[in-house]
Amino acid sequence: MNRDEAKIILLPYRPGLADEADPQIATALALAKRDPELGSWLEEHCARQSALRNAFRGIAVPEGLKEQIISEQAAKEKMPVRRRNFAFAALAAAAVSLVLLAMLALPTRRADDTFTIFRSRMAGVALRGYTMDLITNNPAEIRSYLARNQAPSDYVLPAPLQPVEMVGCAVQRWQGVKVSMLCFRTGKPLPPGQQSDLWLFVVDRASVKSAPETDLPQLAAVNRLVTATWARDGKIYLLETEGNEPAIRPYL
Amino acid sequence: MARMAEGMDFENLVACYYKPLYQFAFSLARNEAEACDLTQQAFCIWAAKGHQLRDASKVKTWLFTTLHREFLGMRRRLVRFPHIELEHADLELPVVPPVTASRLDGEQVLAALAQLDEVYQGPVALFYLQDASYNEIAEILDVPLGTVKSRLARGLARLHQLLADGPPSKS
Repeated sequence: MNRDEAKIILLPYRPGLADEADPQIATALALAKRDPELGSWLEEHCARQSALRNAFRGIAVPEGLKEQIISEQAAKEKMPVRRRNFAFAALAAAAVSLVLLAMLALPTRRADDTFTIFRSRMAGVALRGYTMDLITNNPAEIRSYLARNQAPSDYVLPAPLQPVEMVGCAVQRWQGVKVSMLCFRTGKPLPPGQQSDLWLFVVDRASVKSAPETDLPQLAAVNRLVTATWARDGKIYLLETEGNEPAIRPYL
Repeated sequence: MARMAEGMDFENLVACYYKPLYQFAFSLARNEAEACDLTQQAFCIWAAKGHQLRDASKVKTWLFTTLHREFLGMRRRLVRFPHIELEHADLELPVVPPVTASRLDGEQVLAALAQLDEVYQGPVALFYLQDASYNEIAEILDVPLGTVKSRLARGLARLHQLLADGPPSKS
């Protein structure tokens, strides 16, 4: 083994880990002890490995992510017992059908909770901060901007929401599909740096599996947000604001 | 959830692993929203299917594997990656000049990682984030051990080369 070969072998070497047990690395390390130039290179390399490791581990994790994951799961588990029992009964009945379908070699399909994930993701957008693509109080400009960017723009606002001041919009993405995000200001005092406190997300219904099918708003808590979801004319509407049910009811 | 790893409940499980999972996801996707999605989906799937895992000591690997699969699914990748054994790759590996370690920061490292071919990004991220062994990386990425070695060798060499070269000029 020469010096250059040793450098190649030592490239994945991480001091303090089990890498030294690798016979090739052990041989290269032994060579580095005898060869001052290689030894010097190894010293720099170890410092570089340590810096790289620190850089990767320094990736900032968004605030509230842990709480969001936990609260979303807790919300799922709080499904009423009666509903759960009904679901189990329905599942038992469906299982027979599924077995038959499987025997016919139909493709299997995993449990679908896509809507829950969509709702959680959009709650995360509101909670963790976002940048508005367009800041304006002009609803027509907002609609036009969304249309130009191929995001849903033919939305219909509930009557109680129409007088609320719009402050801008953004185009979010959900599994490759564009989601319109409309930002409103309800008039309540806002924390410093926050420009809106009520958000409406609009996405094509076909993009979100297991989404609600009725235009009757369904309420759910996600982290510290209360959300309302309804369907209308092939679109899913998701309204979010901080607080609980009384905070969102006036806009539905 | 029928069973939790080593008596760990869901909250503790999330508390233990959400950070490294997010960092891995961000290394792959380089997009906060996607990384959050991937992290959350990994735990969602755990909640639904984690009880199927018989060996409780494999929870971490299971979560990383699941996240990686979700990432691949999200991207709907169509490229078939060649499996190049290390022995065949040796001659092509460059000997890289030293990088001044003190000037490395996360943004710079992730920018360099982004320039690597996608097949190298996962192994390299796991290598540094988790101090994962070759076997663990192979298990998480579901590729043969030899492939992991060759991808790591090439990926690390290229990463170090990119960092030594500095950021690309904007001309």
